[in-house]
Amino acid sequence: MLKIIKPGIETIVEDWPGRLGYLSKGMSASGAMDNVSLQFANLLVGNPTGEAGLEVAGGYFEAEFMENTVISICGTDMKPTINGNPIPMWEAVPVKKGDVLNLGVFGEFGFRSYVAVAGGIDVPPYLGSKSTCIFGSYGGFEGRKLAPGDVLKFGKPARALDTLAGRKLKKGVKPEFARTWELRAIPGPNTCPDYVTKEGMDYLYENEHKIQHTSNRSAYRIEPVPEYFFARADGGVGGSHPSNIVDHGYAIRGTMNVCGNTPILLIADGPTLGGYINVLHVINADLWKIGQGTPARDKFTFVYCTREQAIEERKKQRALFTEDNVTK
Amino acid sequence: MEERKYDVILATLPATKTRLEVLFRQAGDGFLQVEYGRVQRANLLDSFRIQTIDAKIRQAAPKGFIETLPGIRTNMIHFDPEQLDVMKLIDMIKGFEEELEDVDHIVMPSRVIHLPIAFEDSETKKAVEKYVKEVRPDAPNVINGYNLEYIALCNGITVPEVKQKLLGTQWYNSGGGFWPGGAFLWPMDPRCAIVVPKYNPPRTWTPEGTVGIGGPCVFTYTTPTGGGYQLFGRTIPVFQFAQKHPLFKDSPFLYRNGDRVQFHEVTEKEVLDIFEHVHNKTDYVYQIEDGEIVVKDYIAFINSPEVVKGTAEFQAKQAEGIKKAPRL
Repeated sequence: MLKIIKPGIETIVEDWPGRLGYLSKGMSASGAMDNVSLQFANLLVGNPTGEAGLEVAGGYFEAEFMENTVISICGTDMKPTINGNPIPMWEAVPVKKGDVLNLGVFGEFGFRSYVAVAGGIDVPPYLGSKSTCIFGSYGGFEGRKLAPGDVLKFGKPARALDTLAGRKLKKGVKPEFARTWELRAIPGPNTCPDYVTKEGMDYLYENEHKIQHTSNRSAYRIEPVPEYFFARADGGVGGSHPSNIVDHGYAIRGTMNVCGNTPILLIADGPTLGGYINVLHVINADLWKIGQGTPARDKFTFVYCTREQAIEERKKQRALFTEDNVTK
Repeated sequence: MEERKYDVILATLPATKTRLEVLFRQAGDGFLQVEYGRVQRANLLDSFRIQTIDAKIRQAAPKGFIETLPGIRTNMIHFDPEQLDVMKLIDMIKGFEEELEDVDHIVMPSRVIHLPIAFEDSETKKAVEKYVKEVRPDAPNVINGYNLEYIALCNGITVPEVKQKLLGTQWYNSGGGFWPGGAFLWPMDPRCAIVVPKYNPPRTWTPEGTVGIGGPCVFTYTTPTGGGYQLFGRTIPVFQFAQKHPLFKDSPFLYRNGDRVQFHEVTEKEVLDIFEHVHNKTDYVYQIEDGEIVVKDYIAFINSPEVVKGTAEFQAKQAEGIKKAPRL
């Protein structure tokens, strides 16, 4: 068990791929904002890679272990310590009953850190997933972010704890973090010539876009698009603004919604249907980078990508989370 | 390549006498949007077609298929592209479309759910009060502490007529989305098609069970949340997170796509009693009838002289009303 001393800015229970199959019931998949870090963290402590862990956004987290176990921390470097002594990231670290884990603030690169525990975080699955939907207050630990005094249970470790300690990723496997995140993106479903001008699409693909401070687990916002972006004067019966459309389903996670003049990447907890156009889609293999994008600091660029390339990237990414990439 | 890089229409089916052109739009590496026609419109006949094809897609559920997310004139298909090739998925849907050439022949299953409503009840009145106090003190859509008079103004009718129109038609669910357990409900009888602008800015709180309207759609709020719809009053729970009541045992959702809702007026006390019997005593018996929509009959109904005349008369009143109603 783990007793929360300081939950920090926002610490929640998330798994991967989250709660699939409920888009038409108004439930987005939720899931880890950076699934790559969560999956590596799980791999290192011998869990199924989609097992639930803690997603620590921003930082300032502190908790006490009430039993011996093995943990792994992946993601942004929040300078983790146990009882005040630094511990390595991207590595399985044994902890003892009474040990206090502390995470500082998000590092030079990235925004979220993931804590995996051997056996995973034991919360009741809701509609097939342990992920928290913060926006809808369901799933995870009582449908909310953690608070001081909360006690989390662990599942049963898949392997003996003493075989786990010291497992780390092979050289070159760790994902690369950045300040400007290159998101490979497929155009559509609403592009040119009917919704957006070619120059408008070029604008998205050829510029850096600063992440707005209003970004959260539902939506990552970037700076407004220029006047020449839209190829039409209004949205017809969908509404008076050219970004309006008769309500349609959103390809979430990963679609870029243009709401008024503001482009918004709809992600984990976002709305699943609405009345704004969607102009491009961040490929599944790059969703994790959105989750590491630091609001008000980092930038996104969009790199043109085909469906075929995106499928190849899915395969390559899936192949990362195997024992072949672990060493001791 | 350069010229075509933003082309997102992967395939089309030509329009026929009774079907709009069908567009298959790329929507990312794991999504496909199927769109009916190139003009924005909200026509139930499109939805009947979409729901009928949707049922076939879900029944076929080829390997790699995850889910569908139908809207009033589009469907979004979510799939795993490593297991299901998008062109194969398109071919399958094209096949279903060819089999179903004529919308007149559709007979689709559609339950009728009877929901009580208490107009202008004290709980939803609190939401309006809170809005005026905390968000917009001069809100022109709040007249005598509520929204009913504003709804009436916008549509050039009286408050009793507004109530009559809500009660006088069945409301068809074109599909859920946006909020957990929600449904977008459209009037089956065009003579009852009231239309209103949404709150500007939105409310910060709306109680569970609130019945509201935004644009042409009625929505019954499933959980306490913000929102922008103009309020009628309060109905009973249509969603239960905890899944305690037998109706919600298998799933927390009441609504299915294609359902019709029929409201009837009751007192606020009756609504509150039912809340108790749904959430605490868990013995309320919902009034739900199995049924079907015979599209041929429906087309005959909306084209009957009486309905055509009544619709034209109402639309004339609405045109006058919206001129006089204050803008939000």
